[in-house]
Amino acid sequence: MIIKCIINHKPCEFDTDPTKRVIDLLREDFGLTGVKEGCGEGECGACSILLNGQLTNSCLLAALQLQGREVLTLEGFRETEQFRILEESFAETGAVQCGFCTPGFIMASKALLSENPSPTREEVRDALSGNLCRCTGYESIIKGVLLAAEKGEGVW
Amino acid sequence: MQSLISRPVKRPEGEDKASGRALYVADLPKKDFLWGRYLLSDRPRARILSITLPPLPPGYSTVSGEDFPASGRAHIIKDDWPFFAEGEVNYIGEPILLLLGADAQVLHHLLNQIKVEYEDLPPVLTLEDSQNKKEIIFGRNNYFTEYKVIKGDPEGAFQKADRVFEGTYRTGAQEHIYMEPQGMLAEYDEGILTVYGSMQCPYYVKNALLPAFGFSEDRIRIIQTTTGGGFGGKEDFPSLIAGHATLGAYKTGKPVKIILDRHTDILMTPKRHPSKISIRTALDSQDRILGMEIQILIDGGAYEGLSSVVLQRALFASTGVYRIPNARITALALATNTVPNGAFRGFGAPQAYFAIETHMQELAQFIKQDPVKFKRSNCVDYGDSTLTGGTIKEPVMVDELLAKLKEISGLDPYKLPPREIKGSKTRAYGFSLFKHGCGFTGSGERDKIKAVVKLRRNADGTVEILIANTEIGQGAHTTLRKVVSETLGIPFSRIILNNPDTSRVPDSGPTVASRTAMIVGNLLHRAALKLKNQGTVGEEITVEERYAQPPEIVWDQETFVGDAYPAFSWGANLVEVEADPLTLEVQVKNFWGTYDIGVPLDERIAEGQMTGGISQGIGYATVEVLQNREGRFLQQTMTDCLIPTAKDSPEIKVAFVNNPCPYGPFGAKGAGELPLVGAAPAVASAISNALDLLVRELPATPESLIKESKRGEQK
Amino acid sequence: MVKAFYPQSLAEALGIRAAESVIPFAGGTDLMVKFRTAPGAPPDFKKPILYLGHLPELRGVNKIPGGLRILPCTTLAELLQEDNIPLPFKSALEEIAGPGIRNLGTLGGNLCNASPAGDTLPFLYACDAVLELSSLQGKRTVPVEDFILAPGKTSLGEEELLTAVTFPVPVFKEWTYRKIGTRRADALSKISFFAFTSQAHKKPRIALGACAPRVIRSRQAEKEIYERITKRDSWNFPELKVLGEEYYGKLISPIDDQRSTAFYRREVSLRLIAEFLYKTYMQTREEQ
Repeated sequence: MIIKCIINHKPCEFDTDPTKRVIDLLREDFGLTGVKEGCGEGECGACSILLNGQLTNSCLLAALQLQGREVLTLEGFRETEQFRILEESFAETGAVQCGFCTPGFIMASKALLSENPSPTREEVRDALSGNLCRCTGYESIIKGVLLAAEKGEGVW
Repeated sequence: MQSLISRPVKRPEGEDKASGRALYVADLPKKDFLWGRYLLSDRPRARILSITLPPLPPGYSTVSGEDFPASGRAHIIKDDWPFFAEGEVNYIGEPILLLLGADAQVLHHLLNQIKVEYEDLPPVLTLEDSQNKKEIIFGRNNYFTEYKVIKGDPEGAFQKADRVFEGTYRTGAQEHIYMEPQGMLAEYDEGILTVYGSMQCPYYVKNALLPAFGFSEDRIRIIQTTTGGGFGGKEDFPSLIAGHATLGAYKTGKPVKIILDRHTDILMTPKRHPSKISIRTALDSQDRILGMEIQILIDGGAYEGLSSVVLQRALFASTGVYRIPNARITALALATNTVPNGAFRGFGAPQAYFAIETHMQELAQFIKQDPVKFKRSNCVDYGDSTLTGGTIKEPVMVDELLAKLKEISGLDPYKLPPREIKGSKTRAYGFSLFKHGCGFTGSGERDKIKAVVKLRRNADGTVEILIANTEIGQGAHTTLRKVVSETLGIPFSRIILNNPDTSRVPDSGPTVASRTAMIVGNLLHRAALKLKNQGTVGEEITVEERYAQPPEIVWDQETFVGDAYPAFSWGANLVEVEADPLTLEVQVKNFWGTYDIGVPLDERIAEGQMTGGISQGIGYATVEVLQNREGRFLQQTMTDCLIPTAKDSPEIKVAFVNNPCPYGPFGAKGAGELPLVGAAPAVASAISNALDLLVRELPATPESLIKESKRGEQK
Repeated sequence: MVKAFYPQSLAEALGIRAAESVIPFAGGTDLMVKFRTAPGAPPDFKKPILYLGHLPELRGVNKIPGGLRILPCTTLAELLQEDNIPLPFKSALEEIAGPGIRNLGTLGGNLCNASPAGDTLPFLYACDAVLELSSLQGKRTVPVEDFILAPGKTSLGEEELLTAVTFPVPVFKEWTYRKIGTRRADALSKISFFAFTSQAHKKPRIALGACAPRVIRSRQAEKEIYERITKRDSWNFPELKVLGEEYYGKLISPIDDQRSTAFYRREVSLRLIAEFLYKTYMQTREEQ
């Protein structure tokens, strides 16, 4: 099936198996290895991308669901000021340990702050509830997002 | 006052991880490689009568145990664990063969067509069945290992006893759920096997492959890739996956990539040993502890692997932080037809501490004393003897830890509020006190590991650290660079530390056992001191430092007498839990932990280790259910094999108490495992207080709590 | 084999549904896991999928007299954003999975997946939801309890598609939604419980999920229990538990599985029923 969509701000057109998992499409066909496979069943959030600005698990998406839509992965986000603030904040609070969950948390944080630039602790917890981390106990990640909200006033 | 070394430094690899540029094994750029997918046993114990493969298209092949040129056994401690099943399977999930080919979809379909004919043999599926010798599946009596330690005169103590209090405590299996599933990429080129992969111990992998292939040392090269979490789960099993992948590369001549999908990882990799620990305490007429009798049983699974060392650590931790003048401890690691169990952060201590801490709380309640006061008054002090006749060689900062707890929580540990009813819920507090031996148990450092580190100063003045220790998220590559940078007095940015490649680095030992900061760090500190005053500017020079056992740490590995560890790190935890008596649901609302890890080498990294370990301990105590029925885990995918989410996690506050240790760089001691060891007992204690129930089983799920409450109702 | 159909309209979708053997696919959050094979390989659906998630005719929430009409490919996140969705339903929706899945998963998907633990179900059962099923032949309506036949099985015809879910929206007086999950987020329900009384209907309406092959709702039990509560002057919790057990004890048929035990599910669901009956009893006392 021919799919026409936008991936990381670039219009794309390609022919693919419509049932191919988007995580495989992005990683294998587009070399976007910032999208990680932690479970393949939508539980861990390591494969999180934004689809039309909404946080989604790419391991649960079939290629045909991209038709006419816009995909943002970490690769399309990491040159922005918003990313810089998140990265800096995460480094300051110690939110990155093994790093495998981090791309997913960055995308979830972007989704949250784009909609709610000054979240409460509870709102951060809720927004991140679909992303799993085994290293940090979440404390430093939540603090990192709150710090990014503070630092990024006007940017979100 | 915070030591200079403790000041946080930005992690060098952090930005690559956050930006998605860091490459984990599954991300390595594709070359012309073959996928490896496993045919795994679906019987707990059986003879393999036949394996019928479908016709394999060109480019698709299999490898199994007979294909190894020299030995089909993976060297862990013994050589008992076969890379592939040898004519018989001993657990569900045991690898039988590896199917190789270029297309994942084709491999999947081929795998589904393979037919295995089994002759079922009677399996042993529970600890009790193994102990009762329902079937003999190992040796003469199903015992992998058996230990006994006697201190003082336990018989006499029980004879004199005024009262005896006893309890039996159980813990379940726990799966690591590192976010990055296990994987390896192997190549065979010009006679050299190279393995890239997710691992904690490159030399363990190398030393497992050498006897399998019968190659000389220079023909096997192991390179660690950025590793997404380990927690002990990538201590032993990577040797097996590496063996499978290299065998495939060796036989086909093409690179072979094995990336476990999550449910295969849950199925086939080692878990934390389930345990059953019984404690009997003899009390005199003044309610003082005369002695203890402890029996420890751990479920080793189908092959011995690391079980003997896990059992040793559980044994040495069994009396907790307490002064027990007379004790008899017996410990058994039993064989069952389940996945071989292995290392997981704590390594026997979380099991032991759940038992002893819960027992001491129950004992305090039995003799009507405040548990915190009771625990504190029975705690060892500087100069006291340990269970194995060693000595506590450092100041014991327990009062400082408690004072710090009071400072950060606003609560007096000695005056904890009793259970409070808040609407339809109840709230209560729990407490634990614990220590963890730093470094390899017993004589491991001296006799087995014999760590070597190297430092090379380059012509341009940069210094490269050459060690086999891995960054697995714990921050070791940051803290060790800090040690060298501070010692040499040169900027942090001038210190180079790459992911280890065995062709370039010496064997400084595995990244396990809370040894990296203290043991390896100290070796690097000494090497740096050597380097400081040597060599000429503009010339390259390398110095080496080898582990030497401090002469005052004396240990007999045969009799288990002496100092099992050179130093102990300490912790105290306070937990607030809210419980719903109607549904028995429990939520941890607040967690406070104070720790003596000597001197933190980086406060931000140390805090991260504490909060992460606490979270795993909370999971161990509450939601991480892993039940084995008929040899199979009921919880098979990430949907059911749970870890806490952000919504399950409390606000965690952590603080450190400095207590510099002479055996670690800048006074540092081990930190990695300590926080997990104390967390679960503290949570269990709070749940017990909140619901007025005995909590003698982990995880303390609503299902197990309701049975306990019903039992209470019937009285 | 054609792997997927991407219809341009509902009419086209119904045509394909009539002509081919297909799997209707909305958000895909259940299907992509149910049929998955291995990393690097697509799911093995065995039949072509019929994609519906993009059709505007199947998305949206409309007010109708006294109630709501929800189109099946509306995502759970969209429902949470809708002002017209009543708070009790939102309480159930916001505890489903996590944010990423709620952005994709749909109401129709949750219904057609027909899991005994489906979290949208207790509310729909308690509110007497009616489903509209369409085919080229026309439309028919079926109450939700007749739509779901068994775990994973619905009465959706081979040529039909779910095209609407309607229910009257009561003025809620007392209501309780409880999801007892395996953890606080991304959890499957061990028990899901929804009960309410309304201004118009004083009788309690009780729906219990994950404790039997299908959601439990008994209008007869509700009627008789209410009569007995109003007839007597004083009730305490243990007595109400006995009363609830008399009717629901035989309807609850829970199992031991990887998430919970039959014992727990039975005991705690009876407690939840008793707790709500107590609320109902207190309400009747107030009104006297």
